[in-house]
Amino acid sequence: MLTIHRLVKRRGSRAILSGVSFQARPGRVTGFLGPNGAGKSSTLRILLGLDSAASGEALINGVPYARLRNPLATVGALLDGSGAHRARTGRAHLNWIARSAGLPRSRVDEVLGIVGLTDAASKRVGSYSLGMGRRLGLAAALLGDPEILILDEPVNGLDPEGIRWIRTLVRERASTGRTVLLSSHLMGELAETVDDVIVINQGRIVADGTLAEVVGAHDTLEDAFFALTTQNGGVAP
Amino acid sequence: MRALTAELSKLTSLLSFWVALATGLIVPTAIAALNSVSTRKEIDLGVETAVGIDMGYQELAFGVIGAIIIGVIAVSNEYFTESAESGGGRQITTSLIAVPSRLRFLLAKATAVALVSAVLASAAAVATMAAIRIVLGEHAPEMGSEAIPRLAGIVCYWVLTALLAFGITVLTRHGVIPLAILIVNTSVVTVTYLLTRLTSLAYYLPDMAGIRMFIRNLEDSTVEIAPLVGGLVMTAWVAALLIIAAIVFCRRDA
Repeated sequence: MLTIHRLVKRRGSRAILSGVSFQARPGRVTGFLGPNGAGKSSTLRILLGLDSAASGEALINGVPYARLRNPLATVGALLDGSGAHRARTGRAHLNWIARSAGLPRSRVDEVLGIVGLTDAASKRVGSYSLGMGRRLGLAAALLGDPEILILDEPVNGLDPEGIRWIRTLVRERASTGRTVLLSSHLMGELAETVDDVIVINQGRIVADGTLAEVVGAHDTLEDAFFALTTQNGGVAP
Repeated sequence: MRALTAELSKLTSLLSFWVALATGLIVPTAIAALNSVSTRKEIDLGVETAVGIDMGYQELAFGVIGAIIIGVIAVSNEYFTESAESGGGRQITTSLIAVPSRLRFLLAKATAVALVSAVLASAAAVATMAAIRIVLGEHAPEMGSEAIPRLAGIVCYWVLTALLAFGITVLTRHGVIPLAILIVNTSVVTVTYLLTRLTSLAYYLPDMAGIRMFIRNLEDSTVEIAPLVGGLVMTAWVAALLIIAAIVFCRRDA
């Protein structure tokens, strides 16, 4: 269970988040939707203890991320890119993460297999394509077989096969009672995958509910999104 | 402990780490060997009769660049940003997701840097002194019990210098500037030494104080500093820097 409560974040005089609150529940895929710069990544970074908030709380099973006893067994996270240094091999990157959590090396081979990077594991991350880097980041997120997945724009850079694979993966995780929070600005993709939708715009939550509730009277999630995030509903003047 | 093994694993999986090890090992050994060859010639010609008291130690003071590189890359590799086409990520996010306590993370990293620097310094000292012995043979300076505190001083100097480089890089989040400044100061133009021409207070700067732990004959020095005092002064500098670095690192967004 992820609980975000009245988060406020400023950078200089600019407000990044102005009282963001929502929850992501176990057994459901929660989509976190918003235009670029709306505050999606900032919210996720605060949730993961990477950035600090001016006020408010971001809790994982009731505690801040920094106080989790087994962070990697609790939360798997994917942020920008691969999160790996380009000079290391994919396997070396996963090896040090596994060591930090006391996980066996066999688990590294397992996740490399899950994300389809077994053949590229001995290559340097610098030679990976964007899609391969994202798969490596996902492998790192899955390393501790976490009960919660937090994915920032997971389908960015993936080919159609990769996108379908992510969709199956997150649905499977949710069906076994785990929590999935994924951010995206790709409406069509999200509508196919999520149970609940949170829409953020300019640092404020503008919609929060099940997919059906948020789509409401609109034809599609995309229509609902533009109605919520632009003044004229996204129709070109 | 897990965080420490993760940090050691990170270091040893970087090519630049092995380059740093090779630099720290080969540079002082090679220079000491070359200096020994010319000293040997002078002795054979009868120009020189005894070997200088700082033979080997001076070369090891120079070889500390290996430890500087280790201290810098341990931090700079965290902040290296992927190209925009690769998603623009940085390893520091992965590191802090794996080890969320900032203080524990920094402590593990500093310990890893100190450990490998200590091992490297010991190996470099053995290799350097062995090279002198091989070239000079019977003319080589005797290594009695009085050499032990000086060799311990070398190890302390390398560890403290590596931690100095580490602390500066935590603050800059970029490797180029600390690497350039520290290596130039060690090799090409020793700014801290030039400062001692202006004020004798400069003898208390970290590197100038630290070398007192093993250099016995500092050229035209006007200030006497005992080896232990020199070591303590350098330790105080490094401790202060690490405290500042830790405070900044714990407060700053990753």
